[in-house]
Amino acid sequence: MLSRFKYFKPHTLSEAVQYLEKEDNSYVLAGGTDLMILLRRNLINAEHIVDIKMLPEIAAFEYVEGVGLTIGAAVVVNRVVDSAAVKAKYPALNQAAAALASFQLRNRATVVGNICNASPGADLPPSLLVYDAVVNIAGPKGARQVPLNQFFKGVKRTALERGELVVSIQLPDPGEGDKSIYLRQARLKGHDLATVGVATRIKPDGKVAIGIGAVAPTPLRLSALEDMINERGLSRETVEWAAQEIKQHIRPISDVRSSAAYRLQMASVLLKQGLLKLIEKED
Amino acid sequence: MDNSKDCSIYTEHIESGKRKVTLSLTVNGRKVVRDVDPSMTLLHFLRDNLKLFGTKEACGEGECGACTIIMNGKAVTSCIILAVEAEGAEITTVEGLAKGGKLSILQEEFVSQDALQCGFCTPGFLMSSRALLDHNPNPTDEEIIEALSGNLCRCTGYIPILSAVKRAAERERKELGR
Repeated sequence: MLSRFKYFKPHTLSEAVQYLEKEDNSYVLAGGTDLMILLRRNLINAEHIVDIKMLPEIAAFEYVEGVGLTIGAAVVVNRVVDSAAVKAKYPALNQAAAALASFQLRNRATVVGNICNASPGADLPPSLLVYDAVVNIAGPKGARQVPLNQFFKGVKRTALERGELVVSIQLPDPGEGDKSIYLRQARLKGHDLATVGVATRIKPDGKVAIGIGAVAPTPLRLSALEDMINERGLSRETVEWAAQEIKQHIRPISDVRSSAAYRLQMASVLLKQGLLKLIEKED
Repeated sequence: MDNSKDCSIYTEHIESGKRKVTLSLTVNGRKVVRDVDPSMTLLHFLRDNLKLFGTKEACGEGECGACTIIMNGKAVTSCIILAVEAEGAEITTVEGLAKGGKLSILQEEFVSQDALQCGFCTPGFLMSSRALLDHNPNPTDEEIIEALSGNLCRCTGYIPILSAVKRAAERERKELGR
């Protein structure tokens, strides 16, 4: 590696925030599975690496009935895969977590890191979006909360401002009778970024939520499409209609993984499959 | 034996010139304290500083698993971890598997099943398998495949590796009472 940086391991959140605010070209290190690649390829000019793993605030990982799930910034993806509460209450998140990269990477990669990296094709955001996740941010001006669907600002860009870091994300309790599924298309069965990833959820009140990745500069919550589906009422006919309509709500690009046309088609197929599977569960 | 130059395929660590950080950790049961360059990866630290050349670098980006080690009980790719992140960690490398000059059961089964040809990926496979069997002495085929999903082999194919891990699990349960 050619990178030349100072390594700083703060013990308190305020220490971390002050350092990040003061120093130019400082980067937060948690799992490092994205950051280390950038450093190795010299794609960023990192002068300061702030290793946040010692901060007590970011260790939280708990599900409280009636309240929901908190995932601290230090929580690695395999902990979410292994969590019985996540499996039972947030199946789409469990499935997305299990699909992320490889086993070894999931032992290091964090859930919060996956959103902070803000890759358009990241696996976790579609599922987190359908559960209305909220991002808890600490910064020089104090703490603030940002809904995840306002957190992504562009390819690899987030709502984080100078000196800020994500402490945790919070998912409300979906309640009894909630159903969800995450389906992804990739070029091969092993670890590969998704060509398209679709999280579909039917809430206890029958309303649909749809999150999708790799079809726009950011992961998307398709609220307009959800409203149209909910207005029509969920049925097999509505699913057929939605599978066509979704193409009006996304704007994929062609890249090394897929053509735009194929992404449009796969988004359609995965939405249809997801909704049908959830409807069948209901019957 | 001076084996410090046996690594032509390997990208050298370039000193950053930044102030070194004191690192103390346990490697294969031995306590180690060294001053390290903050930009040095754990993989480079194991190879360059500790001369543990069993752990290999291939892709260098966490994709291939050749550099897999066990850190605090978990299989991780050491190429994308900074050495300084391993402060206080318990690390096992492939050198920590054989005891008293005798191969471990897992290693013996890799040999008996011809689970290697060129051998470059083998230390990584061994460490992923070791971490799995430590947590799960009786894994299903699916669980083995999942645990090895981050390890690539380009010559032997995966069937002999799968059977080596299965046989090792069986023997460990029988011989070690796991």
